[in-house]
Parts: sequence; C-alpha cells; structure tokens
Amino acid sequence: MNSKTNENVATNVNAPLGKKRMAKANRREAVAGTLMASVPLIGFVIFGLIPLILALRMAFFKITGYEIFSGKNVGFENFAGVFEDPTFWKALWNTVRLGVSTIISQVFALLIAYLLSKNPKGKKAFRIIYFVPYVCSVVAITLMWKYMFNTNYGIINIVLGRTGDNAIDWMGDSAYFSWAVIIMSVWSGMGYGIILYTAAFTNVNKSMLEAAKIDGANEFVTFFKVILPSISSTSFYLLIMGVIGALQSFAVTNVLAPAGGPNNDGVTVVFWLYRRVIEYDNMLGIASAGAWVLAMIIMVITAAQFLISKKWVSYD
Amino acid sequence: MTDQNVQIIDTHQRMKKMRKGAGPVSYVILILYAAIIILPFLIVISTSFKTWQEASSTVFHLFPSEGFDASGYSEVFTYKANQDAAMPTLIKSFLNTLLYIIPPTVLGLFTSAIAGYAFAKLRFRAKNFMYTALLATMMIPGIICLAPTFSIYDMIGWVDTPYPLMIPGMFGAAACVFFMRQFYMGIPDSLVEAAKIDGAGYFSIFFRIMVPLSVPALMAQGVLGFVGGYNDYFNPLIYLQSSDLYNLQVALRVFAGVFRMRPNVVMAGTLSALVPTLILYFVAQNYFVEGIVTSGIKQ
Repeated sequence: MNSKTNENVATNVNAPLGKKRMAKANRREAVAGTLMASVPLIGFVIFGLIPLILALRMAFFKITGYEIFSGKNVGFENFAGVFEDPTFWKALWNTVRLGVSTIISQVFALLIAYLLSKNPKGKKAFRIIYFVPYVCSVVAITLMWKYMFNTNYGIINIVLGRTGDNAIDWMGDSAYFSWAVIIMSVWSGMGYGIILYTAAFTNVNKSMLEAAKIDGANEFVTFFKVILPSISSTSFYLLIMGVIGALQSFAVTNVLAPAGGPNNDGVTVVFWLYRRVIEYDNMLGIASAGAWVLAMIIMVITAAQFLISKKWVSYD
Repeated sequence: MTDQNVQIIDTHQRMKKMRKGAGPVSYVILILYAAIIILPFLIVISTSFKTWQEASSTVFHLFPSEGFDASGYSEVFTYKANQDAAMPTLIKSFLNTLLYIIPPTVLGLFTSAIAGYAFAKLRFRAKNFMYTALLATMMIPGIICLAPTFSIYDMIGWVDTPYPLMIPGMFGAAACVFFMRQFYMGIPDSLVEAAKIDGAGYFSIFFRIMVPLSVPALMAQGVLGFVGGYNDYFNPLIYLQSSDLYNLQVALRVFAGVFRMRPNVVMAGTLSALVPTLILYFVAQNYFVEGIVTSGIKQ
C-alpha cells in the first residue's frame, strides 16, 4: 500500500518530463525514418520522375538532335507519326508473336514442376539443371543458339538432315526466323516458371489433395480440379510477367539479327525505339510518343493483373 | 499425447502410401528435359575445343575428331580490338563489368535495406505516402524514360562514361525495398525495443541487429542484382561507345562479330563469359531460388 502510493507520486512527478522525453524520442524516430526511407525516393525523382515529365513534353514537341528543352509544340503530330509508321505496327506485331513463347514455356514449366512435385529421386539436381539458363546472359545464350541454328553447319540442320542445298536458313528466312526465336525463348524462359510453380505446388492444400484421393479422383481429375485452381494466381502472374517481358524484349533479336532480321521480323518495339533514339537523327519526339504507346499498353496490363489477382488469390 | 503422435505417424504413412510417386514416365520426361538443357552447353564446350575447320563442318562429333585445339581460348585471352590497349579486350571488359556493377549493387542493397527497415519498423508521418509513392514507381515501365534520360546524359556529358550504369542503382530499387520491408516485418518488435532501452539509436539498431539477421535476404537480393548487372546488355550498349569502356556482354557481341568465321573462337568466348555466373550460381544456388520465389510472389 505504502509503496504503491510512492509509485503513484513518482509517476505523477515524472509525467511531464516523460511526455517531453517521449515527444523528443518520437521526433527523433520521425527524422531517422524519413531520412532512411527517402534515398530510394530521391533516386526515383531524379532518374524516374524528371525524365518521365520530360518524356511527356517530348511526345508533343518536334525536337532536333538531343535538344529536348527546345523545339516546337506540334500537338499530336508525333503520335500520328507513330501510328502511320508501318514498322511500328510491324514491331508491335512481332512482339506479340514472340510473346507466344511465353505461353508455350509456361505450359511446359507447369508440367515439369508438377512432375518435380512428386518428389522424384534427384529432385534437387533436376532443379539446379533446369534453372541454369535463367542465370546465363542473353547475349551468351543467343550466340550459342545462333551457332546451333547456323544454315551450313548448325547442329539443328544436321539433326534435321537439312544440309547442303535444302538447308533451312533460320536467320534469313522469314518463315523460320520467329520459330528460332520462340524455340530459344522457351528453352531459356522455362526455368523461371518452374521455380515459381514449384513454390506454388508446396502451398497446395494437402488435406484437399487427400480428400480428392479418398473420393476416388484419379490423377488427371485431381490435377485439373484441385491443383490447377489453387495455383491460378501463380499462372496469372507468370502470364502477365511474360507478356510484359516480351513487350520489352530487345537483346535476343538484336544479337541474332542486328539489322532487324528477314523482313524486319526481329524488330521488337524496344528495337524500334532504340533505333529512333540512338541510330536515327531528329526522331526523339516520335520515339517518345512510341514509348508512351508501349508504356500505356504495359500499364494497362499491369493494372489488370493487380485488379484481377486481388479477386483470384485465395489466402487459405 | 502419445495417442496423437501415433495418429500423426499413422496418417503420415498413409499419405505417403497414397501419394503416387514419380513413375517411369515422369523420369523419362524429367531426364529428357534435363538433356535438352545440358546438350547445348556440351555442344558449346566441345566446339570451343575444335579447330575452326571442324567447328564449321557439316559432320558433328561431340569429341573433337581432329584433335583438341585451344586456339579459341588463346584468342579469348589475347585478342585486342585496339592494338595500343594495355589489356586483352575481353579481360578488360570483364574487369569493367565488375567495376560497373559491384559498387551500385552493394550500395543499392544498403540504401534499399535501410529504407525497408524504416518502412517496417519506424513511425514517421510521411511513411504511408512515401511507401505508396515508391510502390507506384514499380508500375511505370522504365523504357519510357529512354529518350529523355539519354538526352539528359548527353547534355551533362555522361554518354560514353559508366556513370549511367552506376549512379542510378546506388539509390536502391523499389522492388528490393519492398522485399526487405517484408523481411524486417517478420522480425519481432521486442528485439528492437530491447535495443532501444539500451540506448541504441536507429542507425545502430539497423547495423547491429537488422543487418546480421537479414544476411540471407541480403545475399539473395545481392546475387540477383549482381547477375542482373553482369548480364545487362541494353544499357551498356546505349551508353558505352568507346571499346575500352565496353562491359563484357557488349564486348562479347563485338568479339563474336569479329570472329564470325571461326565458331570455335566464338564458343570459347561465350563459355568464358558464362563461367563466372555459373560458378556463382552453383555456389549460391539457394539464394537464387529464394530471391526469385520471394520477389516473384510479392506482387
């Protein structure tokens, strides 16, 4: 009793001081937190926001050389220039066509990850091997495949028995070029999907799998009715990421065919942009307008992914 | 309790029995796919040791039939694009690459981690606004800034210097901040409170408690950042114009063009460029997988 009163008195005496100290501590915390958190944002303002605002201005101005602060306001003329440029449409179409590889590699990745989820012997070794292409540089992998696709002495033509006069000109024939790119992209893109699907499979509800077994569902039904729905968010994420990645692809076709490939089949949208920024003169306005068109497509897809995945993901 | 244990063991065994293991068909598919991944690498290795005549013949032998020829590698380690250069081109470009990517990777990791810590553990007024703003930046495709960024760098004299490849990364990356924040959220507040009572400041809490606890997460982000920078082709291609500034990927592509008539040399270069990443991958394999999975699941 006595001690309790003492304590009360003590707290009462200390209260104003404590509050002050608390306020000071809070201020210190606020200063430290703001400082720590601000560096990435400062970086974004300098290297992201300022260029972004300039990009918006540039899309509506006629610009000479790299004099981006001068020039004449031309309204939507640059956008008209983009849409009237057949190579832009061609690039967009190429990009979409090459994006097909995304879907193919996703289906294969799903199959492989499913087989891995059955815990085969050597699972770890398989996984290590499957993931190797992902860490390799696009340039090195492209050079490797370019050698294998060589018309005269490539192993692929040798295996297909197409050497000599009836050799397939993978790099020069428009009918084959895209296939070469798709085969390469599937080969190098599957590892990522396998890793993510493997992680998703470990999160599939075990009791639901058992219930399906007890109900006598065969493997096929279990896969399509239980497993596939519960990894839908991963599938969707992979699809969107794949499409966005395809929309921004550049290195593969640039290394395979620096001049754009047969019939310009290797010109992706970023390739188109690259030429207008780096190689051609006085095209910055049109390049910016084209970049905005691409960015709008990507942002719509990203937003759709964000909204739809919120609906789909089930946290059980 | 014992009863329960028995039951658990029982269901466990039943599940094991019921669960269909991998059948022969699964093994065939898995091994076939592993072969499809490995074969191209074997072809590269084999070709790199062939004479250029055999490397460009229509008959394929996995083992060089005209004897081993290491001239491909001697070109890799001696070829100079520029006669006056002090170092062979590919060696120089490899050192350039390390110089360009290690500082931004390390510094960017640090700035991202400390920001992630602030977002996870500290209270400050602008926190929600800053965090939302940072997440919003991830929605903007970087490619849109290509034209203005190149023009600005051209104006301030950064084109044909490594600065465009180095400086932006030092400010950290939104995805990395997000990842580190998630990690630090999982560290109990009591640890932080205890250090606070001991009189530790916020920076010292970060360095003494948070950093040691997050070494695996930092490693995962670090190796991914390193390999991403090592493999980068687009930015170096745009910003580096003199050949003695090239990074490895750009130099390799130019090298492949010079030696296009000698596939053994090109394959030796390709393999040599891959070896550092492959070693890093095999050593730090788990960090790669962890980094991919956690940053893949985040969004």
